[in-house]
Amino acid sequence: MRMNRRHFLAGVAGAGTLAGTLTLGGAGRAFAQAGQPIKIGIVIPLTGATSQFGTTMSAAAKAAAKDINDAGGVNGRMVEVLIEDDQSNPEAAVRAARKLIDVDKVVSIGGSYASAVTSAIAPLCYESKTVLFTSSGADSITKTPHNGYIFRTSPTVTLQGTRVGQYALELGAKKMFFLGPQTPFAQNYIDIISGLFKDAGGTGQGLIYEDKRASYRTEVDQALRTKPDVIVLGGYVPDTSVVLKDLYRAGFTGKKIGFSFGVNPVLADGVPAEVSEGTASLVPSAAEDSPAYKTLIGKLGKPALDSYSCQVYDHVVLTALALASDPATAASGVVVHDKVRAISQDAAGTKVTDVGQALKLLADKKAINYDGPSGPLAFAANGDVEGVFFRYEEVQKGKLTLLKVA
Amino acid sequence: MISYLLFIGTLTAIYALLSLGLVASWGQAGMVNLGLVGFFGLGAYCSTLLTLLGLPIGLAWVAGGLLSAVMGIAFCLLTRTLRGDYLAIVTLGFGEGLRLVELNERWLTGGSDGISGIPAPFKAAAGELFPWLYFAIAWGIVLLAAWGLNRVLGSPFGRALRAVRDDENVAAVAGKSVLLLKCQAFGMGAALFGLAGALYAHFTSYISPDNFVVQLTIYIFLAVTLGGYSRLVGAILGAVAVMSILESSRFAAEFVPGLNAVQIASLREFAIAVALIIIMQVRPQGIFGLKNEKARAPAQPDTAPASVVSSHVK
Repeated sequence: MRMNRRHFLAGVAGAGTLAGTLTLGGAGRAFAQAGQPIKIGIVIPLTGATSQFGTTMSAAAKAAAKDINDAGGVNGRMVEVLIEDDQSNPEAAVRAARKLIDVDKVVSIGGSYASAVTSAIAPLCYESKTVLFTSSGADSITKTPHNGYIFRTSPTVTLQGTRVGQYALELGAKKMFFLGPQTPFAQNYIDIISGLFKDAGGTGQGLIYEDKRASYRTEVDQALRTKPDVIVLGGYVPDTSVVLKDLYRAGFTGKKIGFSFGVNPVLADGVPAEVSEGTASLVPSAAEDSPAYKTLIGKLGKPALDSYSCQVYDHVVLTALALASDPATAASGVVVHDKVRAISQDAAGTKVTDVGQALKLLADKKAINYDGPSGPLAFAANGDVEGVFFRYEEVQKGKLTLLKVA
Repeated sequence: MISYLLFIGTLTAIYALLSLGLVASWGQAGMVNLGLVGFFGLGAYCSTLLTLLGLPIGLAWVAGGLLSAVMGIAFCLLTRTLRGDYLAIVTLGFGEGLRLVELNERWLTGGSDGISGIPAPFKAAAGELFPWLYFAIAWGIVLLAAWGLNRVLGSPFGRALRAVRDDENVAAVAGKSVLLLKCQAFGMGAALFGLAGALYAHFTSYISPDNFVVQLTIYIFLAVTLGGYSRLVGAILGAVAVMSILESSRFAAEFVPGLNAVQIASLREFAIAVALIIIMQVRPQGIFGLKNEKARAPAQPDTAPASVVSSHVK
C-alpha cells in the first residue's frame, strides 16, 4: 500500500494543477468595468427533455441584444448576452448560473424555464443580488425569500388553471377530466379546475401519469370510463403528443384543452392533423395586434413564436431599460432590482413597445411604460406578472388558429 | 472567479466521494452499481428531512450515509443471486425506482416541487468565508474517506474482496463468506453515495427528484473509468478530470466560431461521450491500472505487468 499513498499524493497535487488550468480559461474576462459590455446571463434548456424551445429562446435573446446595441447600447455601453445550457437538469443549471454570477458578473439572469431549474438557481441569484427573470409557472417560486430579486413574466399555475377551467365551462362542458404528468403543478391544476366545475354544478377528476412513456392507452381508457365531455391536457409536448394519439385511437370526440407548453406550433407540426384537430390552447400573450410581438416574429423570420421565447426577449430588454433609466449609477443587479417597475409599469410613462424608442426616451429623461412581445409586463409586489392576456387558440387542419384574445 | 472555483471545487469533492464509493463496490468487489444516483438522492433527502425536523446537520449527514448503507445491504441481500450485467440492470432500476418514490410521495418529499431553503452548516457565522469552509469540509471528508478505505482495502478484508471480484467460486472454496463480503462492500459504497448526497443537499440548499437522474451516474462512471476503476487515487483524480472537462468546455465553447447556442450545447455533451470512447480505446485500464498483488516473495522479482492482469480480470 506504500505505492498507493505516493500515488495518492501525486493525485492531490494533480487536482490542484487542474483547478489551476480552469482559472486560465476565464481570468481575462473576470472583471466587468466601465466601457466594457454589460453582461446579461441567460440560462435556458438547449439539450434534454425540456429543450423544445431552446433554439427560439436563444435566438430571441440574441435579437434583444442586437436591438439594444443597434440603438446605441445602454449608457454608452454595449450589451452582451451569455447563453448557458441548463441541460434540463437543476444540477447542471446551478453550475451554469454559478459561472455566470461569479465569473462573468452578470447583472441579471433570464430565461429559466423548468420550475425545478428555477427553484435551484433562485437562491444563488437572490443571495448574490443578481436579478432572476423567469418564465416558470410554479407558485412556490415567488414564495421564496427573494427580496424582490425574482421577476416572473409567465402567469402562475393558479392563474393559468383558472383560465383553462373557465374556458372549458364557457364551452358548455359539465364533466372534466385532467390528464397530466407529475410536475410541481399537476395536482394544483386538478384541484383548481375541479373546484371551478363543482361550483358550476359539474364534476371534475384527474389522473397524474409518468412522463416519457410510449403509450398512455391505460390512462386514456381510465379517463374515458368517466365519460368526460372535456379533457384538459396538462403535459409538455412529448407526452401530450402521445396522449392525443391515444385519445384519437380511442375515438374520443369531446373537447380537448391544453396549456401553451403542451399545445403549441411544435406539437401541431409533430402530430397528424386529424389527431390534433380541435385541440384548444391558452397562450399567455401580449394584447391582440401587439406591435412588439409582430416586430419580433418579423425579425426572427417566423410566422408565430411561442410565449417563452418572447419572454426571454423581454428579460433582456427589461434589464437594459432598467439600467438605462439610472445612468448615474454603475450597472449592477441592485439597479435592475430597483428600476424594473419604474420602466415597465409607470402609469404616467409614455407607452412604448420598441426598445430603441424606449432607450431614446430614457436618454431624454422621459418616463416610459414598456410593453413587450410577451405582454404588458406589470409586476405585483411578490414579483408575479399581472394583467396578462391570453390568446385562445385552436388547432385547425394542423395549424394553430387564433380564436380570441382576452 | 474565486467563488466560482470554490463552488466547482466543492462539487468536485462530492463527485470524488461518489467515485470512491464506486471504487469500493465496483472496483474492489466487482459489483456494478448503476443506481448510485438513487443512493445519492436517498442520502440527500434523508439528511434534509432530518435537519428540517431539528437534527444537527452533522448527525443528519451521518444518518444519510447510514440509511443509504442499510438500503444498500438490504438491496444486496435481495439480489444475491445476480452478478455482472444482470446486477447492473437491477441497480439501474432500483435507482430509478427511488427517484419515482421521491417524485410521488409528495407528503414527505414535496414531489417535483422539491425542497428549498435547506440550511447549511455555519453559514451565518462564516459569512464571506462560508464557501472556503464548505470546500474544506467537503475535501476533508473525501480525504478521510480515502484514508479509511485505503486502510480497509489494504487489510486482509480488502484482499478477500478482490478475491470475490476476481472469482467468487475460488473465494468461496477458500472459506470466505462471499455474500457477507459483497454486502459489506456494497454497503460501504452506498454509505459514501448517501454521504455525498447529504453534502450536496446542504451545499446547494435545494433538491428535487430532477437532481437525481442517470446523467450523474454516467459522469461518475466516466470519472472512475478514467482514473482506473479499482484505485482510490484514480477515483479522486478522475472526478477532478471529469469536472474539468465539464466546466472547461463551457469556456472553450466560446471560442468555437460559427455555431449557434444549441449546437454548442450539443457539442459539449458530445465531448463527454468522445472522452469516454477515447479512454476505452487508448487506456482501458485508466490512468492508474490494476495493481498486481502477490504473496510476499522477496527473492522473486516482480515481472508481471499490470495490463496482463487487467485483461484477464472481468
